[in-house]
Amino acid sequence: MTEPVLELHDVTKRFGDFTAVDRLSFTLTRGRILGFLGPNGAGKTTTLRMLLGILQPDSGTIAILGSSIADVRSRIGYLPEERGFYRRMRADAAIAYVATLKGMKRPAALTSARRLLKEFGLEAFARVRIEGLSKGMAQKVQLLAAVAHDPEFVILDEPFSGLDPVNQAELEIFIRKLAAAGKTILFSTHTMQHAERLCDGLVVLTNGRKLFDGTLDAARALFPRRARVGADADLSFLRQVPGVQQLTTPSADQPFWTLDMAEGVDGRAVLAACFERGVPLTHFDISPPTLHDIFVSLVEEAA
Amino acid sequence: MRNAFLIARQEFIKYVTRRGFFISILMFPIWVVIVLLVPRWTSGAPQRAFTIIDRAGEYRAAILDSLSREDAERDLNALARYAAANVNLSRLERAKPRLSGLLENPTTPRAVTAFQGSGGREGALSAMRPFLKPTAKPFRAPAPRFVYLEPPPELLFSPSELFASAARNVLDSGRYFAVILIPQNFGKDSHATVQYYARDLSDSDLLDFATGALDNALHKNVLRRYAPQLVDSDALEETTAVETHNPTKANSQSSRDDSLTKIVPIALAVILFIVSVMNASVLLQGVVEEKSTRMIEVLLSCATPRQITSGKMVGVIAVALLTIIIWSLALFGLMALADARTVTLVFDALGSVATFDTLPLLLLYFFCGLLIYGSVFLAIGSMANSLADAQSLLGPSMLILMLPNLLISGIMRDPNGQLASLVSWVPFYTPFFMMLRIASHPPALQVWGTTALALATTAFLIWWTGRVFANHVLTTERPPSLGGLIRRGALAVRGRRV
Repeated sequence: MTEPVLELHDVTKRFGDFTAVDRLSFTLTRGRILGFLGPNGAGKTTTLRMLLGILQPDSGTIAILGSSIADVRSRIGYLPEERGFYRRMRADAAIAYVATLKGMKRPAALTSARRLLKEFGLEAFARVRIEGLSKGMAQKVQLLAAVAHDPEFVILDEPFSGLDPVNQAELEIFIRKLAAAGKTILFSTHTMQHAERLCDGLVVLTNGRKLFDGTLDAARALFPRRARVGADADLSFLRQVPGVQQLTTPSADQPFWTLDMAEGVDGRAVLAACFERGVPLTHFDISPPTLHDIFVSLVEEAA
Repeated sequence: MRNAFLIARQEFIKYVTRRGFFISILMFPIWVVIVLLVPRWTSGAPQRAFTIIDRAGEYRAAILDSLSREDAERDLNALARYAAANVNLSRLERAKPRLSGLLENPTTPRAVTAFQGSGGREGALSAMRPFLKPTAKPFRAPAPRFVYLEPPPELLFSPSELFASAARNVLDSGRYFAVILIPQNFGKDSHATVQYYARDLSDSDLLDFATGALDNALHKNVLRRYAPQLVDSDALEETTAVETHNPTKANSQSSRDDSLTKIVPIALAVILFIVSVMNASVLLQGVVEEKSTRMIEVLLSCATPRQITSGKMVGVIAVALLTIIIWSLALFGLMALADARTVTLVFDALGSVATFDTLPLLLLYFFCGLLIYGSVFLAIGSMANSLADAQSLLGPSMLILMLPNLLISGIMRDPNGQLASLVSWVPFYTPFFMMLRIASHPPALQVWGTTALALATTAFLIWWTGRVFANHVLTTERPPSLGGLIRRGALAVRGRRV
């Protein structure tokens, strides 16, 4: 399962004087789910378009399934960030059309389309034109179009955007199913909770440059654990506790004192200091940094 | 290849299932019916009523005599057409050879005189009656073009200096279309000026008729003075009979054949233009729609830009061909319903234009033209983000593409002249002009040279469109200015992204 499905080496893409992607390298192995994260304008969509052969890199190499995109186009599924379909096409025909372009025979493509629509509870809408579907339904149809031809490698650009929480949960389950079936998945997202729950690995990009490439655990290891302490008293004295790297005072956004802890340090010293001072605590928790925190920190550091 | 075919198939289905396609298919026969029927509806009209104030005293009768001949000529022509459809002509010829002869050549002055002398319309109808076919329809006499009305008293007694005012009042009444005043000295001492009053001087039919009648009267006066024995002679009715021959064609004596031979290429070229613009516009709209819905990104993840553009082109060509087939069937169906002989004539004309030598070239020009227009529109579509953007580029492009239509009459007047030879080498227009000219046998060098040019232009534009499409179809910036457009085109040729 360590066979690389996607390999980027020093890939650069410029538009005039603007460098959208700058010497980007990473590898994705078979059966894994990779989260491709970055703020707006980080170069995610440009990278995905290069993976699909829609754009050509100015330098660097891209290998997908061991070949160039031209040879493996039919083995890739793609869901673009901005969804759209032929408005007058019927749902099953739209899915089948994309699947036939990916190499399937039309009868098989139609069968696959109807099976997937049934699986997603859209059986009754199979013959409805795209313009007659709700936005959520149309997005699901487009997602199904990306996978109807049973691709080995699925690229999803912001797959959760525009979906309500129920459909987001359904999509999460679907992505897990795809991964369980041996598909390799790369998805870009702004929604860190989804990435946190789904991804085996992360690539964080900003201003076209890679900031991080590794597992979630590796990302967490880069940043201190964070303790949150609630009390009515002034806790500035905690700054003196060994292992406390930084102390942030409560604010309108969050009511707790926040302490960044050095690696290997737990919260007992903090609690002991509070007891020694006789400060009654209303809240105490200590947890690894969330992906959201990691993302924000990485992007802020890069800025 | 397979993807290009799938995209072509999808494009074809997408376009032919649109309401607009059905409307355009239906509109053409309706348009043809209107073109065919309007002249029929208006054939008897407008009838012009006029009056004559003849102060010279002898010319009113001359005009009325010409009027009577004009009516008789129209009657005789109508009777000839009626007889061809409703009379057993072989029996008529045996029984009434004189009448049969008149009906065979109804346009000569001698025939008109004989027709008037033998009882006119009623006399001819009575003579024909025994030979009518059982299915014969009743004869409908043509309405006279001009009707003489007696002058009102206010004109008759109007002094010369007030005549214009009186004529205006008479014309304002709406009863008269024109008033002709023949002065007292007309025809004397080189005075040959009459006054013609009408509210619409652009309609000159009556004026031409009256002038001709008065010319005849003046000529007869001269004859009366110098050779009175010739005034009523048959010799004055001699006219030149012309037999027309086109030695380049076998058995072609009819000018109608040559006219159709000219009309058919014009029709083909105009159909090329209409079908191209109609379908290429749909192509443009399709690309803009795909850009706005981001469907284009899905397509680009499945197929190369070249496959997408060629698929779209093939789809549009298929729609264009289907359009032409349906239109042709409708056209021939309507012609067969109206007059079966026209179908034969048009087929003959098509046969003379689309010969074994020229048919492949005609088809080649047609497809090249379609692809050239399609490429231009596709490139515009890939550079525009919305229909409004596309319109800003479409307007000037349409003006450029429409230019050949303005030159049709000039080219057809002299299909191998300097103008025709020159414009045939303008790459964008080569297919259009060569379709017009091919039946006129242009020099071989021009045929092969322009054919090579058309093919090269088409190939270049398809290639260029592929580049423009690949470079711009995913952009969301404003469409370029004219200068920007030219710069982009040049950069696309050099293979660089703008």
